[in-house]
Formats: sequence, C-alpha cells, structure tokens
Amino acid sequence: MSGRADPPGIRLADVHLELASSAGLVNILRGIDLSVGAGEVVSIVGPSGSGKSSLMMLIGGLERPTRGSVAVAGRELTALSEDQLALFRRDHVGIVFQNFHLVPTMTALENVAIPLEFAGAADAFDKAAERLRAVGLGHRLDHYPGQLSGGEQQRTALARAFAADPDVILADEPTGNLDGETGRQVIELMFGLARRRGATLLLITHDPALAGRCDRIVRLVDGRIAEDALAPSAALAKLK
Amino acid sequence: MSLRMAARLARRELRGGLKGFRIFLACLALGVGAIATVQSVADGIRRSIAEDGQAILGGDIELHRLYQPATAAERATFEAAGRVSEVVETRGMARSPKDEATTLVELKAVDGAYPLYGRMELEGGGDLQAALAQRDGAWGAVADPEVAAKLGLAAGDRIAVGDAVLQLRGTIAREPDKAGGGFAIGPRLMIARDALDASGLVQPGSMLSYDYRLALPRGSDVHGVTEALKARFPDSAWRVRDDRDAAPGLRRTIDQLTMYLTLVGLTALLVGGAGVGNAVRAWLDARLATIATLKCLGAPGRLVFQTYWLQVLVLAGLGIALGLAIGVAAPSAVAALIQGLLPVEARIGVYPGALLLAAAFGLLTALTFSLWPLARAARIPAAALFRDRVAPRHVRPAPIFVVLAGLCAAGLAGLAVATAADPKLAAIFVGGAIAAILLFTGTALGVMALSRRAPRPRRPGLRLALANLHRPGAPTPQIVLSLGLGLTVLAAIALIQGNMDRQIRSSLPGQAPSFFFVDVQKSQKDRFDALIHGTPGAADLAEVPSLRGRITAVNGVPVDKAVVKPDKSSWLRGDRGVTYATVKPEKDTLLQGQWWPADYDGPPKISVYKDIAEAFALKPGDRMTVNVLGRDIEAEVANIRDIDWGTLGINFTLIMSPKPLSAAPHTWLATVRVPPARELALQKAVTAAFPNVTTVRLKDALATVNALLSQIGTAVRSTAGVTLLAGALVLAGAVVAGHRRRIYDAVVLKVLGATRGDVLRAFLIEYGLLGLLTAVIACALGTAAAWAVLTFVMEIDWTFLPLTLLGTAALCVAVTLGFGFLGTWVALGQKAAPLLRNE
Repeated sequence: MSGRADPPGIRLADVHLELASSAGLVNILRGIDLSVGAGEVVSIVGPSGSGKSSLMMLIGGLERPTRGSVAVAGRELTALSEDQLALFRRDHVGIVFQNFHLVPTMTALENVAIPLEFAGAADAFDKAAERLRAVGLGHRLDHYPGQLSGGEQQRTALARAFAADPDVILADEPTGNLDGETGRQVIELMFGLARRRGATLLLITHDPALAGRCDRIVRLVDGRIAEDALAPSAALAKLK
Repeated sequence: MSLRMAARLARRELRGGLKGFRIFLACLALGVGAIATVQSVADGIRRSIAEDGQAILGGDIELHRLYQPATAAERATFEAAGRVSEVVETRGMARSPKDEATTLVELKAVDGAYPLYGRMELEGGGDLQAALAQRDGAWGAVADPEVAAKLGLAAGDRIAVGDAVLQLRGTIAREPDKAGGGFAIGPRLMIARDALDASGLVQPGSMLSYDYRLALPRGSDVHGVTEALKARFPDSAWRVRDDRDAAPGLRRTIDQLTMYLTLVGLTALLVGGAGVGNAVRAWLDARLATIATLKCLGAPGRLVFQTYWLQVLVLAGLGIALGLAIGVAAPSAVAALIQGLLPVEARIGVYPGALLLAAAFGLLTALTFSLWPLARAARIPAAALFRDRVAPRHVRPAPIFVVLAGLCAAGLAGLAVATAADPKLAAIFVGGAIAAILLFTGTALGVMALSRRAPRPRRPGLRLALANLHRPGAPTPQIVLSLGLGLTVLAAIALIQGNMDRQIRSSLPGQAPSFFFVDVQKSQKDRFDALIHGTPGAADLAEVPSLRGRITAVNGVPVDKAVVKPDKSSWLRGDRGVTYATVKPEKDTLLQGQWWPADYDGPPKISVYKDIAEAFALKPGDRMTVNVLGRDIEAEVANIRDIDWGTLGINFTLIMSPKPLSAAPHTWLATVRVPPARELALQKAVTAAFPNVTTVRLKDALATVNALLSQIGTAVRSTAGVTLLAGALVLAGAVVAGHRRRIYDAVVLKVLGATRGDVLRAFLIEYGLLGLLTAVIACALGTAAAWAVLTFVMEIDWTFLPLTLLGTAALCVAVTLGFGFLGTWVALGQKAAPLLRNE
C-alpha cells in the first residue's frame, strides 16, 4: 500500500460540476472548497439534490469536475486518465453503497477478494476470509449475495471496501436500505474499522444522530457548502 | 492486470448460466449448422467424384471425338498405352415393335472391355456382356427402368432402335460412369458396340460421340501419358481427359450450387448476427451494475472488456459447437433425400474443412456483432451506479473497437468471397448484404426519429403504438433488420422462381415448336418434308443444317490464350452447334457489322453471338478458327449478333457463310409445331419412317429441365427457410426482451380503464407498422436482387410479379403480428395487483 508514509488527505479547491440533461446544463456543484485531514471522519449532509453524491463521486474519481482541483491521498485526480483513476481507486479508495452492489454471481469471499486480486495480492483469498471474519461473516464465506440478508450483504460490502487497506472510505447512505438495529451494527463496524486502520471516512447520511457521531459535519445546500463545523461530540471532546 | 484475471472473473460470471443466451446460441447454431451441412454434403459429393475418378471417367484416360471413330493408327497408339474400351454415345428413339410406342433415349454402345473400372450392376444381378451379346440372331439391350415403363415392355420383349430390333434383357441398377456424361434428357439404353453398326444410326454427319477409355498398367504415370497423348494428337478434335477431372460438369454444378446455398446460409448467419448483438446488448445491460461496481473497485476498462469478451467467446464456442453437431448429423438425412437425384452418391462423413469453414463464419459473425456492445460496456462509467436513472449517457465504444469490428466484418466478407466458386458473384452478394443491413438499420432509425417528432395522435392506442416505436430500448432496428434480411432473400427467390416458371409457361403456347428433330439426313430431307407437310395441323416447319464444332483460335492466337473475359469462358467448353446460312435468322438482332449477301460465294465468313464476341473482345474483321469434323476453318467475323433465347426455336451461336460447310457431311435440325392432340401420332410416324432421326418433344425436355430446377429450388428454399427461422428467432428474442415492459404497460393501461381490446389494438398497430415497413423495404430490395440475378446472371427477361411479392409481404406482416399478438396476449393475462405492489 502506498501513501501511508505521507499523511493522506482530501483537498478540493473551487470545484464546479455541471451535467448535461434533457433540459440543458445543470449546475450540481458551485465552487466547493473542502479540506479533510488524514484519519478524519466527516459526514456530508443536506437535502436531496444538494450535490452530496456528486461530491463523493468527484473524490472517488468517478466523476470529473467541470473546473477546480481535486486532490486525494496526495494525487491530483483531474490529471489522471480513466484507467489511471481505476488503479487509483484500487490502491486508495474503498466505497460502500446504499444498495451494496455485490456481484451476484460471486460468493461473499470472491466479492471481498476482488480488490485484492486486482492489486495482484497472492494471498487475496486468505486476506478476504480474514476481513469477512472481522465483520462476523466467517460462516458465510461461500454464500452468494442472494443467500445473504441485507445486513450481511452490507457487512460483506464493508469487508470489501476495507479489504485493500484504502486511505479513504466513501460511504453513501450505507444504512439506507437496512432496518434500525442492523444499520446500527453496520455503522459500529464501519466506524471501528476506519478508526483502527486510520482511514479517512466520508459518510453521506440523512440521519442527524449518525452525522453527530462523526468528527465534522459538512452541510451542502444547492451545490454549495452552507456549513462546515465540528460535530457536537467532537466539539465536546475538544472542550474536555 | 492480466488476461488470467479476466478469465477468473469470466468464469465466476458464467455461473449465472445460459439465461438470456438461448436466442444467441440458437442463432449461431442455425447459421453454422446450415453452412456446415451444405459444405459437408458438397465435400461428400466431391470426394465421391475424386475417389471414383477412374470409374466415373471409365478409365485412367479418356479420349473423345465427335463424328469420327479412331483410325486404325490412332487405335494402335491407344493400345500401346494400355487396355482400351470403346464407347459410342448418341441420342435416339427407342420404340416398341408391338405398338410403335416411342421414347427418346440416351443410347450408349459399349464394347466387350466395358467397364474398365467400376462395376455395372443390373437389377436382379447378371452379367452385362452376357445381357448385350447376340443370342438367337438378336442383340441384347439393357435400359434404365423408365424405358421399359414408357414403352410398356417386360424383360425378354423386343425393343427397336434405328433399324435394329433388340431384346430387352435387363434393367440398369448402377452405371459406374454416368456422372462423367453430360446433361441427359432421356433415359439410358445400352447396347453392344457391334449392335450399333446394325442400327443404321451411324450415318455421315450424325451426332455420335466416340470415347476411348484407357486403363494403363499399374504404376503408370497417368498424367505423363495424358500429356504425351495430348502432344501426340494436337488436332483439337480430340479431347483428352484423365481422372483428375472425371466429371467436370457435375463438379461445376456442385461448386455453383454449394456457393449459392452457402451464401443463403450466410444470410441466415447475418440475420442471426442481429440476434447475437441483441443478446449481448441485453446481457450487458443487465450487468451494468456489476460492471460499474468492478470499475469502482479498480477494474480498468480493458479488464472489463476482456472479462465479457471471454464470456462471449465461450458462449459463441458453444453455439458453434452446436451448429457443427448439426453439420455432422444433418448430411446423412440430406444425402437420403438427394439420393437418386445425383449420378454419384455423397460420401457422408466428417469433413474438417467444411466444419472449419462453418466455424470460421460463425466466429466472425459472433465477433462482428458483439464487439460493439462489448466495447460500449468497457466504457460504462463507474458513476453509472449513482446516476444511471437520472442522466443516461450515450456511451460510444473506443475507436479501436470500431476498427476491430470493421476488421471482423471485412474478414467475414473476405472469407465468403475467397471460398466461393464465383468470387465476383459472392462479392456482389456481400455488397448487397452490407447495403441491405445499412438500409434496414437506417430506415428503422429514421422511423424512430419520425415517430418521435410526429404530432401526438389523440387516440391513446395509436399514441402508445407510436411511442413504443421510439422509446428508449425499443427493438425497432433489431426487428426490422432481422426480419427484413430473411424476407429479402425469400422475396428474391420467389420472384426468380416466378419469373422462370412464367418464362417456361408463357413462351410455350403460340410460337414455341412442339418438336425438335435431330439428325435428319440429306437423303431423307425431301421425304421428311413431305411427311410433315402431310400431317394435319403441322405448321412453321424450320430446318437448319446442323454441325458441331469447336473454337480453336482467334486472330491466330490459341483459344485458351485469347480469352479476355474469363467469366464468359464457358463458351469454350466442349463442342458448339455450328450452322451455315445465306440470310440472317429472322429473330436475331445484328449488333455490329453486316450480314453477307444472299449469294455470297467467297472465303468463309462467320456471324458470332455477342457473349462469345465479348469473351474474346471480337469485332467485325477479326478472324476466328473453328474446328469442324476435324478440319480447322478460319473465317472472318462478319458481324456480332444477339439471340432471343425466349423463342425456344433453333438458335445457333456460330453461323457461317455457306462455303465450305455446305459441302461437308452434315445433318439437318428441324422444328415443327403441331396441335397437342397430334403430337404422339407425329412422333410415331417420324420414328417409323426415319428410325435414325431423334425426336425431342419440347414438353418432355422442359419437364426434365423443370424437374431439375424444382429440385434445386427445393434446396435453395430449404436453406432460405433457415434464414427466415433465424429471423423469427431474433424477432421472438426482441419480443421476449421487451416483455416485462409490455406487461407493465398493459397493467398500467388496464388500471387506468383501458379494455383488453384497446391494449391489444395499440400493440398490434405497433407491430403492424413494423411488419409493413419491413415488408415494403424487403420487397423493394428482393425485387432489385431478383432483377439483377435474372438480368445479369441468368439472362432471362424480367417481369415484375406483384402477386408473388404481395404474398411475401403478407407473410412478413403476419409473422410480426403473430409474434406481437402472442407477446401481448400473455401480457394481457397478467393480474394487476401483484405487479403494482412490487412497484
């Protein structure tokens, strides 16, 4: 893994994003400046259509800004090609989706092994099994996604996101499709993994309580950062 | 990231099974199966011709000459090379002395050495030579079963041919050298060589073919001897062949037929290719989330492409293997069907060349049609996972893949042209196929654009139908292309057959003669004329001197070096009819030059048919040498002439001025028209009075030609049927692919108060429009193709046959409506509640 020696971070400067639609150009993001330190846990909140997912896609190298600069883990993403971005994600970014997005034809073990296999790890399956055991799914290694519950699928997705020890974890409403209790378990797991590994975690959520557990809350409104503040828990900890 | 990684991912993905790939597999299997079957059967026939070369030729070497038997010196030369068998062939009239019933026969007189190779089999066994031998003063004869049936004879009965009365002693079960002969218009009657002399059929100028077959001592250098004999008899009246090319006519026919059937099979594969493309596209659409997920996890586009390309290759391999299995199994059934139609049996077996060719066609088709959707999939952005429903993007494949798909298509076209017996014709086919694909796709896209821009009809049913034509993911281009290609082929075949039938039928009444009389001797001419004029109702008696000759040189250059248009070189094969005349035949048209004066008495001049002139780029004033009766006659080309073949009268491609042919021994060819009721009586009278004259009844000859054409027609139609089946499969695939959406539409419409009738009408309007549109284009293209084939390849007058075309169009609309109706009917049967709850 690269980038550990040099503390990774996220730095966005004057980022704009415009997308074409049948009704013409839509301004999704309008001048975002954001800096996130290595190991920081940040929640992104805001109403639907405020640009949360787009912001995450820019940071994951899944989308290119119309203008501005996006640097993640010390790399300027706007200068990378499509395939270089894929390799960058392989080495530095883990993503957790609301809809899990496991590959239906692969077992839990194979799903978790994919990023390790992509990175050419010789012990991809051993490591994947270890990651699955860490999220409590040691008994589900050979099950296909269709044979797992929603919570188990999201835990598998977590194991996959953390499999290659990424510098940055991007989570888009990871509990949106789970019931309350299962969602809590998944969040505990995700926070625990992120803190243990020192990964930067960016979490999109509509849940104020969940946002409150992060270090920082960034509120987006209409494509702009309306508020960027320490979360109450972090502020309290600082006061103490 | 290596190909191994892609293979690993592909293997995992393939666990999903073959769901969604049934049409893909069926399309490939059908096309590959059709081509493999055609090629395997053809290889079986070619192998038979090659392996039985000696038997088919009748010897290691055959020397053939018209009119004149070998001289003693020539015969001595043959005998010095090996064992010799003499076979004389001619056409004649066989008759029953009991009731004077007559029939045209292909007469073959064989000597005691016949056959040198192979076995002559008589029904019920028995020895040929014993059956033909003179017994109690009568020569024996054996014949094809048809002869006995036509004349009402049984074994042991008397049969007359010419002046000879023979005893019919057996029925031919198998004649080893039959495939080596030319086109037969009558059944075989075989007699002894010595019996022929007693028949009176050997007259000066009579059309007799003398064949000398040689069996060389074991270990001889056959080809060396052949070349030596050719050098020994440079006189071009002798045609020397060896078993390298035992049945050139049959081989050419098989090559041509194989090419046509392979091209029709290729059409099936192209139609199936549309199905292959659809299946791959639908399959990749369903994998959109997986592809985007892999990209989120760090898979570059190349790995995504390799992963899915490998899966397509595996599935294509499976489809091709299924097709090859058909290609191995089906030829036995085909061989059983065509048994008896060919003079040789097809050696059915596994022919790797045939299978390899079919597999190559299949693989190139699969690649051509799947590369585009595969390359698009490789470019699906990872962001599609988040945004596909909001802003669907138009993803275009990388330019390199467009080039690769183009190369595969070029490979497909190149293979079709390179493996065809007539590359030029195959190239025209390929060009036509590309034009048709572009036209169908372009029109479908045009219709989609039009329906998008058209004003919204007020009736909801029509509005829905129009919207269905252009909505995202509408199968309009696929349906139009797949059904359109199949129907174009069908329309073209229907029109070609219709025109040929019409040509044969419509030109018969009125102008066509009832009989051709061959070999009327000079000495018989006056009596023959009197007999005809004395026949009530006989009219239009035409008589033309008849000789056979061979073009040997043009402007002093040997004929094989003088050809400038090789595709017209068929005019050089074998002997051509030659005649002489003082005036131009009434129905012929002069294209260049002048006819000679009626009293012309100078050096030889010749009038040449335009196709022969084209073959040598001849113009008036050039010189052409024709060998007639063993003598080279050099004549000045006086004019170039066109012939109206449709008259079915006497037509000669080479006509010379009277000198010197009029002085050579020759016979007359006569035609006459009599009322149908008098035909049999005239045939009997002529045969009784002139036993040596061969009577060809036009109706019988046309029936023989018709039977042959209808057999070829059946083969072409069967292969074209495969094309339509492939089209139907693709159509069914497109309907099935849109099925879920259709059910949803139907349910929503029903909830909003539409009756079953309303919904059904809307869907039927949609499919009716598609079917009609496809039919119109297919009919136009099919008409153009049929016109081109009839005008340029077959050189038959073109007539537009609207009824035939309407039938094809109706079939098209019926097929699309049928599939649309089936799909809609199932959709209408769905209960609304469960579907809405799920939504």
